[in-house]
Amino acid sequence: MLPTSSSSSSSSVLLQVPALQLKVSEKSMAENTERAPSVSFGVSPTQNRPTGFCLRRFCNQLCGCLSKESKNLPPCRKHIQKGEVQEDEFPYPSAQCLSSYYSVFVARLAIMVMLAILIGMLTILTWHFTTVYTTKSINSLAYDLRFELLQRPILRMWNILNSTAEITNAQVKLSEYVIRRYDKTVTQPQQIEMYEVMRNVTWALFASRKALNAITISYRNGFVQAFHRDHRSNNTFYIYSDLVNASITGTHMLNDLSTDHGWNDPSANGNISAIWYREPLDPVTGESTGRPRTIPPDDLINIAGLSEVPDGVASWHVAVSKFIDSPLLSAALPVWDSSNKSIVAVVGVTTALYSVGQLMRELVEFHSGYMYLTSQEGYLLATSTNAPLLRNSTTGPELMMAVDSEDHVIRLGAEWLQSTYGNKFYPNQEVHVENVKLGHQKYYIDSFFLKLKRLPMVGVIIIPRRYIMGKVDERAFKTLVTLISASVCILVVGCLCILILTNGVSKEMKLRAELISHLDARRRAEASSNYKSQFLANMSHELRTPMAAVIGLLDILICDDCLTNEQYTTVTQIRKCSNALLGLLNNILDLSKVESGKLVLEEAEFDLGRELEGLVDMFSVQRINHNVETVLDLSDDMPKVVQGDSARVVQIFTNLISNSIKFTSSGHIILRGWCERPNTFSDTMKLPLDQKESSSALKTKLKQHGNHEMRTSKKDNRIVLWFEVDDTGCGIDPSKWESVFESFEQADPSTTRTYGGTGLGLCIVRTLVNKMGGEIKVVKKNNPGTLMQLYLVLSTPVDGTRQQCSIDFSRHGLMVLLALNANMGRVIMSQWLRKNRVHTWEASEWNELTQIIREVFQASSTTPRNGFMTQCSTSETLRYEELKTHHVRSSSIIIVVDVGLLDLSTDIWKEQIKFLDKYHGKAKFAWVLNHDTSNAVKMELQRKGHLMMVKPLYKAKMVHILEAVIKERAFELQQESPNASRAPQGDLHECLEIDPIHFDVASSDDSDTFETGSFNSRRGVLQIGETSREEIITQDHKNLNNRLSEFSQNYSKNKNIENPRQIWQTSCDIEDSTCTSTYNRKASGLPELEVENSRWSGQNHRDSTKAIDGQKSLKGLCILLAEDTPVLQRVATIMLQKMGASVVAVGDGQQAVDALKCKLDAEKYRSSESPFWDGNTRFQTLLQECPLFDLILMDCQMPKMDGYEATKAIRNYEAGTGSHIPIVALTAHAMSSDEAKCLEVGMDAYLTKPIDCKLMISTILSLTKRMA
Amino acid sequence: MDVSQMQGQLIDYTASLFREGFLDDQFTQLQQLQDESNPDFVFEVVSLFFEDSERLLNDLGRALTQQIVDFKKVDAHVHQLKGSSSSIGAQRVKNACVAFRNFCEEQNTEGCLRCLQQVKQEYFLVKNKLESLFRLEQQILAAGGSIPMVE
Repeated sequence: MLPTSSSSSSSSVLLQVPALQLKVSEKSMAENTERAPSVSFGVSPTQNRPTGFCLRRFCNQLCGCLSKESKNLPPCRKHIQKGEVQEDEFPYPSAQCLSSYYSVFVARLAIMVMLAILIGMLTILTWHFTTVYTTKSINSLAYDLRFELLQRPILRMWNILNSTAEITNAQVKLSEYVIRRYDKTVTQPQQIEMYEVMRNVTWALFASRKALNAITISYRNGFVQAFHRDHRSNNTFYIYSDLVNASITGTHMLNDLSTDHGWNDPSANGNISAIWYREPLDPVTGESTGRPRTIPPDDLINIAGLSEVPDGVASWHVAVSKFIDSPLLSAALPVWDSSNKSIVAVVGVTTALYSVGQLMRELVEFHSGYMYLTSQEGYLLATSTNAPLLRNSTTGPELMMAVDSEDHVIRLGAEWLQSTYGNKFYPNQEVHVENVKLGHQKYYIDSFFLKLKRLPMVGVIIIPRRYIMGKVDERAFKTLVTLISASVCILVVGCLCILILTNGVSKEMKLRAELISHLDARRRAEASSNYKSQFLANMSHELRTPMAAVIGLLDILICDDCLTNEQYTTVTQIRKCSNALLGLLNNILDLSKVESGKLVLEEAEFDLGRELEGLVDMFSVQRINHNVETVLDLSDDMPKVVQGDSARVVQIFTNLISNSIKFTSSGHIILRGWCERPNTFSDTMKLPLDQKESSSALKTKLKQHGNHEMRTSKKDNRIVLWFEVDDTGCGIDPSKWESVFESFEQADPSTTRTYGGTGLGLCIVRTLVNKMGGEIKVVKKNNPGTLMQLYLVLSTPVDGTRQQCSIDFSRHGLMVLLALNANMGRVIMSQWLRKNRVHTWEASEWNELTQIIREVFQASSTTPRNGFMTQCSTSETLRYEELKTHHVRSSSIIIVVDVGLLDLSTDIWKEQIKFLDKYHGKAKFAWVLNHDTSNAVKMELQRKGHLMMVKPLYKAKMVHILEAVIKERAFELQQESPNASRAPQGDLHECLEIDPIHFDVASSDDSDTFETGSFNSRRGVLQIGETSREEIITQDHKNLNNRLSEFSQNYSKNKNIENPRQIWQTSCDIEDSTCTSTYNRKASGLPELEVENSRWSGQNHRDSTKAIDGQKSLKGLCILLAEDTPVLQRVATIMLQKMGASVVAVGDGQQAVDALKCKLDAEKYRSSESPFWDGNTRFQTLLQECPLFDLILMDCQMPKMDGYEATKAIRNYEAGTGSHIPIVALTAHAMSSDEAKCLEVGMDAYLTKPIDCKLMISTILSLTKRMA
Repeated sequence: MDVSQMQGQLIDYTASLFREGFLDDQFTQLQQLQDESNPDFVFEVVSLFFEDSERLLNDLGRALTQQIVDFKKVDAHVHQLKGSSSSIGAQRVKNACVAFRNFCEEQNTEGCLRCLQQVKQEYFLVKNKLESLFRLEQQILAAGGSIPMVE
């Protein structure tokens, strides 16, 4: 039977499947059943059916998948399914996430369903192709088989019938022959002889056919001869009737027959009386083996009588006998007499159908199943079973109907046939039915109709389906189960794979969603940070404006005369604090500007060297209290002019240096700079720049081939400038090297307390450096301290002629004695001088200086001494020797003395100066002063006619000294002045002004850092504040006011013009015509100098500032005043007139514009009278008096045309001409927005009412000088 | 009354003006601007101020009594008054003007009228004070003395 146990069947079926898979599937099944408790396991009609089970299992699996899926679904659904609360594994922040999750779930489900369909189809197709085709072919084979099977018994039957017919025919023919021979005999012996012959002939026939049951001959006379073979006992008998009795009647009967042809079965009557004998015979020889015994007639066999051949033709019928249980086929044929007119005897042949049954049984033994033959009426003739074919009834044994057969199957089959087709079989009707269910099994039923004339027969074969299709069905079932199991396994594995894969995908999606949300958060954070920066920028900008106002007001307050000393100090303190605050604000503003990307670097040419020198100047003032020297060491190949944002570059170095200063208590701060060609860029990166030796070596190397590389780099005018800020401060821990550049970061938080500061400086530096295409980093350094290294990528002007050290100092045979107590500066300076082949000595203290001086001057008169040799580099020894020989004639010695070498604490310094003065004629003295050098010293030196300059001594200053000396010498030679005693250094007395920009930077002496550049770049109010501050600070540093001379750089001249007081000649002017004037002045002697000096100091003196400053400082200027308020107009006019300016006052903007136009037109048509003038008679005279206006003071609020409109009109008018008349706004608004508005319309500066005299003057001066 | 006494009186009086806030620094500046070339500079300017102010005050009075007050115009007038008063250092007038302008911005007619009264009051006060100051100066000059500089 089919397997009923699910597990056993599945496991047995799945044997082909890899064990692992099996396990997995079983596990998953187990899981599924666990997971889906909702699926009922109750009694179902298909429970014991494997297919049903498979289906249900599939269902379970699906449910399992669903429930697994539902784990990831929102909890509500899960709860429904699982009925238990589980916590959310993933909280979903947004609906978007959820929807995407749903989509994943749907996609998963779809993939699974598709997989299921695919696998299902595959399974079905496979099963179909493997099973159905086989079944079909087997079915056709089975049909053949069945046909064949049925055919054979039928053939046998046919054979039997044939042979019976043959035998009968033969018997009839033989009987006819024998009877005809003895036809005429009537005698007894003849008759007996005839019967004897008949017996022999019949025996011969009977013996030849073993299958025969009996041969009977019944004669007309009632004599019966019969041979009978009992197959069961294997006995052969000869049966005959009483011969005597028969012979008499027989003859009679024969006659009768021959006479009237009617023979109404006399034998029946006659035979009753006859005596039958049975004689056993030897089956082989036919000899009698026993005595004949009498038997009752008709007891043994059917004797075919005349009645069976009524019409004289052969007849067939099936008979039964009581001795054999199988039906007998008997044929009867009449024997005619010679005349063919009467029947003399009837021959009957009986054949047992037993052998057919035998054959059937044999066949069925092989093929199983059931066969039977029935007559047309349905009587069973033969079956393959042992069931009896005959039925004992009261009338003796008779044939059974097939439907009454004792064999179960045959009976059922017969019944089925009967019920389906009725009782009648049509000729040629064949039945082939498959899958007929008889009992519990299916059978094939086939029937054939055997058409015999007298005996039509029907053969039926019933073969169980299992016999033919059993294996196939089993196979098909096995295949199906295997396939389904495999499919299920694949499905499960596939679903698991999908789950795993999509889990990955969904995880990825989750991660992505998370990432997106993170990005979003980051963007928001950035935005908020941006807002913060924006806010800071706005705030600091907004704060700066009032701060500027505060500072300006403080300046005004400081200038106020009525302050007590105490108040003055307090106000000064407030001013300092305000400056600090403003600096902080500026820092924040810069930083936020950079951060918000709003910082735009301007591209303008500027002199880098000069800016840096100014910076060093400034810091040397700052750090004067510390024991730190600031050294500027720029290599010669640095381009003089670069393009970039000078303010920002200066800011970088300001921050760096001030940072260094803050952390350096003693030692030095060196700012090194050198130029780098882009092509050698990579080389230098590798070099250990932290080591001073190597860096200087590198520099020399660079310098050596600097000259030709310069030309090559001219085409691409980008250059890389390297800088180092090297200090000997506390240093930075290597771990902090990166983080110090972060904002609000300091190397050591504790330093905040010690040194203060916000930690913004380096951050600004880095952002600026990066902005300029450079990098900054902290570099390792052997000595204590910090070494910051940075490079900037700047462009040089395309047409920029690189100005090198233009003068070849070596030609002039200069020798320099550097007597400086600042070590680093001295070493660097002497290195540089030597490189330029200027011989140097070095001295660090007074005694050394005197010693060297003595030696030098003795040597100059006698022979060189080895003592100096130590100071020279050996390479220059030869050169030196050479120099020595003629230095008296051609070389000049310059002695650079630091004022610090003098003993200033006592009066010894005077002696020292006197000592040096002895060598005055032989050597030039240049003094390096401190900022706080006392006036007396300066005066003294001044008197001696020495060169003086303020610390620090850097290259440019040195160059100046050298150049001055060279020029002086040249002048000396040229003039051949008769007055030999007049010292040539006298013309060097001309005092040189410190660059105002530097100065004002230097004076911002707050400990915090200021980027001075930003101050300079501010406009408007700040500018004014700046200018006034400058003055104030000059007062602050009274010591500075007393300085008399200072070498300024050549190139500073151009810029300095904007400073009102910078109308001084530089030393360079000496050569020109001015020489004479200076000589004149010299001739007039010291008093004039003294006057000037006192004027300077007086001017800067606080109390008298106004008086002196006010003294006609505006002389020669013509100012147009546009003011409607008569009072103000009058006041301003008087103010300006008092300063020496000529003023034209007008009442409104329109008049101002007209006046200006008239002026300009008058300029144009100077010769002719302009028609404009007629209408404007009021101003005519005024206008005629004045030359062109130098400046306009413009009230903002005026009738007719206000200041803004007027300015616009003027600017429009000017647009084509290229001229630009400065316009200063006068406004009572004093709001920053007004300022912006003023500047927007084209005004240059801005003054608030009431007019502050000094502010006004300084503003006017700065504007008019700039214009000049 | 002898000259030195009058001079002392003048100094005291001037100081009191400063102390009471009628005048401020600006007036000092004006005085400083006065020299030989402009001997009557202060008087000249102050007279100008008086003229101008009276004109402006009249204008203001007219403007504020109009049906529809043109605050822009009023504001301009006040601004002018403020400018000129600050120029001569009439501090209290200036302060009153500042308050006045605030009301102008609010377009508060009532407040403006009140302020106008206040400004007028201040103006007349300072006018009286200055006139007496000048009278004193005239007397000193007439007596042949020189006008001492404050401070």
